[in-house]
Amino acid sequence: MTALALLLVGVPLVLALAGPLLAPLLAPDAEPSPLRPPGPVHLLGTDALGRDVLQLALTGGTTVVLLTAGALALTYLAGVPLGLALAATSHRGLAALSQRALDMLLILPSLLLLMVLAGTGRRGIGWLLAAAAVVQLPAVVRLVRGAAAAPARRVALETMMLSGEPWWRIHLLETGRFVSGAVLVDAGTRAALVLTLLASANFLGIGLPPDVVDWAVVIEQNTASLFLAPAALLVPAGLLISLAAGTNLLVDRVADRTGAVT
Amino acid sequence: MHRPWRRGVRRIGVAGVALGVASVLVFALTALLPGETAEIVLGPEATDEQVQRLRAELGTDRPAVERFADWAAGLVRGDLGNSLVTGRPVLEELTHRLGATVLLGGTALLVTVPLAVGIGVLAGRRPGRPVDRVSTGVAAALQAAPEFALGLLLVGLFSLQLGWLPATAGGGSLLTPAVLVLPVAVLVVSQLGRLSRQVRLGVVQADRSPHVTHLRRLGLTERVVLTRHVLPGGIAPALQQLARVSDGMLSGVVVVEALFALPGVGAGFVRAVQLRDVPLVQGYALLFAATTIVVNLMVDLVSARLTPVREENP
Repeated sequence: MTALALLLVGVPLVLALAGPLLAPLLAPDAEPSPLRPPGPVHLLGTDALGRDVLQLALTGGTTVVLLTAGALALTYLAGVPLGLALAATSHRGLAALSQRALDMLLILPSLLLLMVLAGTGRRGIGWLLAAAAVVQLPAVVRLVRGAAAAPARRVALETMMLSGEPWWRIHLLETGRFVSGAVLVDAGTRAALVLTLLASANFLGIGLPPDVVDWAVVIEQNTASLFLAPAALLVPAGLLISLAAGTNLLVDRVADRTGAVT
Repeated sequence: MHRPWRRGVRRIGVAGVALGVASVLVFALTALLPGETAEIVLGPEATDEQVQRLRAELGTDRPAVERFADWAAGLVRGDLGNSLVTGRPVLEELTHRLGATVLLGGTALLVTVPLAVGIGVLAGRRPGRPVDRVSTGVAAALQAAPEFALGLLLVGLFSLQLGWLPATAGGGSLLTPAVLVLPVAVLVVSQLGRLSRQVRLGVVQADRSPHVTHLRRLGLTERVVLTRHVLPGGIAPALQQLARVSDGMLSGVVVVEALFALPGVGAGFVRAVQLRDVPLVQGYALLFAATTIVVNLMVDLVSARLTPVREENP
């Protein structure tokens, strides 16, 4: 099962990272035309806009991986210090209130939050990344707070406090190092969630602009051509499923072996 | 004696507060974020006159508190304003599309729950065996797959390759079973794993509990142990997961309706977003938030009802 998971993640990931380097090696078509069937010039045919489907498959994964990584980085850059600060504060009521305020964001499912923003014109890469990061915050802050307040940690913290270590070293640096394992496991599970969220937003036309080559955007642009150019939809769809499903399966296997809870 | 009743009332109160917060959140997201909504909605080519007209229509030329008070008062009366595109009341637009979504989501839930319980019990009774490893692995993989991509692969197989099922509703009635099969299948496949894994975990824990071990020692038949003790103990913890599954289905419904051109609230929401019909976007967002809150409340109430029974019969 682990080998299958590695294969499922590996193929789309390699395509996403190395694809843009390989794409220029494909023979350029002097007269590109839409909806061509697979042939010697276009191995997978062309899409509704006359673009080579193989080239789209090679170049459309970079945004998927980069956006997911970017949203995750934003989430943890904001969520980890916030979670550590809430765990360290002596104002328990303030910490609980802050967590409740963050949890309010969960009233609206993530994708619908992105839709509400897009419906009032707030769209584009910046809004997409910010919104995808914000909707993950409540869970990440809760995880970091919980991990930082683990009973096993208390003796070490008290020792550091008694030896006069500064507040930031105890509560941010050392506790941050302590929670890094839990954060890493969480990041693996969350990667598939964020990837699916961003891909769904791009498919619904509320994410990336249409001139960006992205697997989900390509699918959205070709939905009317399913019976004429199936490869233009099925190839990027298969790659997205492989990447998301493989990531989740891999994290699940690793967590199962290490005994971590996901 | 009165504690469960009091707990229920408290939960309903919390749900009421959550609904209030949801309305503030939706209003803040649509009306208070940086940028002038009328200018953003109309785009850079709009004339000053058009922008002023839309500002007056949306009320963005008035203070935010006053606008929210008006909007909330309308909400209480069931008046969510009118669609900017069709001019019809928002509430009418929502109710017009509700039936299709209830049919789609309801059918998907009706299929998902028994299937998840069956798979969860099957895997949970044989932990570590091939049936457990395969079902857990498949569940972990499929629950992460984007619904639209999953739907396209199913369409590719069952519509394009085999020609068994229609690829989209194409204006046809949802009451035609063939139209519903693929959309329901996508929702079921994408949410099944979440629930079946929780049921499996509950069954494994219940099956290994001292209580069940003792009953086996007493000589009760395996069927009685399973149906009267392992199953209730295993399924109760999965109820909370049912709320998550329902939340997931809400997002899934939006994507699935857009993919299969179904005339439900999900597709209506996508259309409202594309047309930047702000009052309609607010209406759909509130409807989805209210559904999330009500589903969570129902799950909480059922869990609360089950908990004392389990406490009394450990």
